[in-house]
Amino acid sequence: MIRFEGVKKSFGTKEVLKGITFSIAKGEILFILGTSGTGKSVLLKNLVGLMRPTSGKIWINDQEVSSLTEQEYLAVRKKCGMVFQHPALFDSLSIFENVAFGLRRHWPNLSESEVESRVKECLNLVHLNGIETKLPQEISYGMQKRVSLARTLAVGPEILLFDEPTTGLDPITTNAVNQLILELSRRLQTTSIVVSHDMHCALDIADRIIVLDQGHIVEQGNVEHLKKSPHPLVRDFLEEALSAEGA
Amino acid sequence: MLKVLKDIVEDIGGGVLFMREVLAVALFYPCSFRSISEQIVKVTEQSWFTTAVAGFFVGAIMTVQFTMQVQQFGALGYLGGLATSGTIREVGPLLIAFMLSGKVGAFTSAELGTMRVTEQIDAVRCLGANPIQEIILPRWVGIVCSSFFLLAVGLLMSIGGGLLMGLYFSGISAQEYLRHIPTIVTSFSIFSGLFKCLVFAMVLASICTYKGYTASGGARGVGKAVVNTAVATMVAIVIADWVTSVFSEVALRIYMGE
Repeated sequence: MIRFEGVKKSFGTKEVLKGITFSIAKGEILFILGTSGTGKSVLLKNLVGLMRPTSGKIWINDQEVSSLTEQEYLAVRKKCGMVFQHPALFDSLSIFENVAFGLRRHWPNLSESEVESRVKECLNLVHLNGIETKLPQEISYGMQKRVSLARTLAVGPEILLFDEPTTGLDPITTNAVNQLILELSRRLQTTSIVVSHDMHCALDIADRIIVLDQGHIVEQGNVEHLKKSPHPLVRDFLEEALSAEGA
Repeated sequence: MLKVLKDIVEDIGGGVLFMREVLAVALFYPCSFRSISEQIVKVTEQSWFTTAVAGFFVGAIMTVQFTMQVQQFGALGYLGGLATSGTIREVGPLLIAFMLSGKVGAFTSAELGTMRVTEQIDAVRCLGANPIQEIILPRWVGIVCSSFFLLAVGLLMSIGGGLLMGLYFSGISAQEYLRHIPTIVTSFSIFSGLFKCLVFAMVLASICTYKGYTASGGARGVGKAVVNTAVATMVAIVIADWVTSVFSEVALRIYMGE
């Protein structure tokens, strides 16, 4: 469904992605793990067209997307929703208007009652009800993250991209968000890519894990494969996850 | 030294490309009238008081300064005309534009910079909208319209400030103060002052939207964008003032047939 072929991305003289190649099957939950600054978020932004690769190709459903124009990318973004590291809600709009934002742009022919029912449905999916009239600053950070997920879901994407979805959340909300990702991916049959540095949650919900280091993929495979990996970075991540579990 | 020059050239180049994009969006994908009017109301509400106060005192300062000059020649009767002409043509638009750059420019730059670093602008793109059309264009048009209006209001207030100083500082009557205003302040002076207001408003709107939109690097990046906006706007306004002054003088000479 998604294929990266030798994707490189540089900022000036600094090469952040150094020839990334991997693919993801439909319905799969893929975790991309790595320490800060290894290019995980850059990878997602290249997929959704917020950045363009310096070289290499990206395929979504047999369509090569890295060379599309900004206007042509609109159709790709309709099926490829992204949940950002920050909730990125629009401060001046109510929760209802935030969730309806993408819906109104991607599906301009929807009636107001259809928009309303879709917004309620999506807020319900993330277990939030009765907050439609509130402003983003009137709800907690964890709730903002869930509203952000609802806003992405409203458009009806086939692919969900999560950029560090649990950063800044307490352990209980982190667990709730992880379960939500798993539940939604299974229920809505979406393909999910989760960028994170949380091995504990990757072990919990990932179908497959890719470990990035210095712009290279240093390990990839399912959870069992990762647990047997001799790579020092993977061992560090595993030890961290196991110690967190023990605590 | 070379690096500083390179950065300035790159910055100007980036700004030109940004404005080209804004112009292209304005022509082919215009934003809604409602979003523009919301921005006009917002900017005007935020800044009318500051501008009015600034305008009032600019007029007052000019009258005080001119009093000392014209008194020596026994020409206090010309005080109103000279002070008002100087204020409308030059000092008023310049000082009030500086005031607005601190207020409107810094606010807009900080607002857009925060939207950038908290990924709201990326979110707009991902949700199928064009951030230039949705976010930048309404602000740009709104800032130009309301700044032009505010500058004009500031100039009107400056006449009030000048008149009050004429009465209580220079000791001339209101009638005497106002008598020579129509003879010295020609329609060309008013046009020149308003033209400057429009140019300064466009400079302010362009720089603050560009600096905010291209901010990066978290809270520190937003702070840097705000500082850069303030500095760049003031320098650009002074340069624009020189250009418009030369342009106005040349236009006046052509008009007078010299």
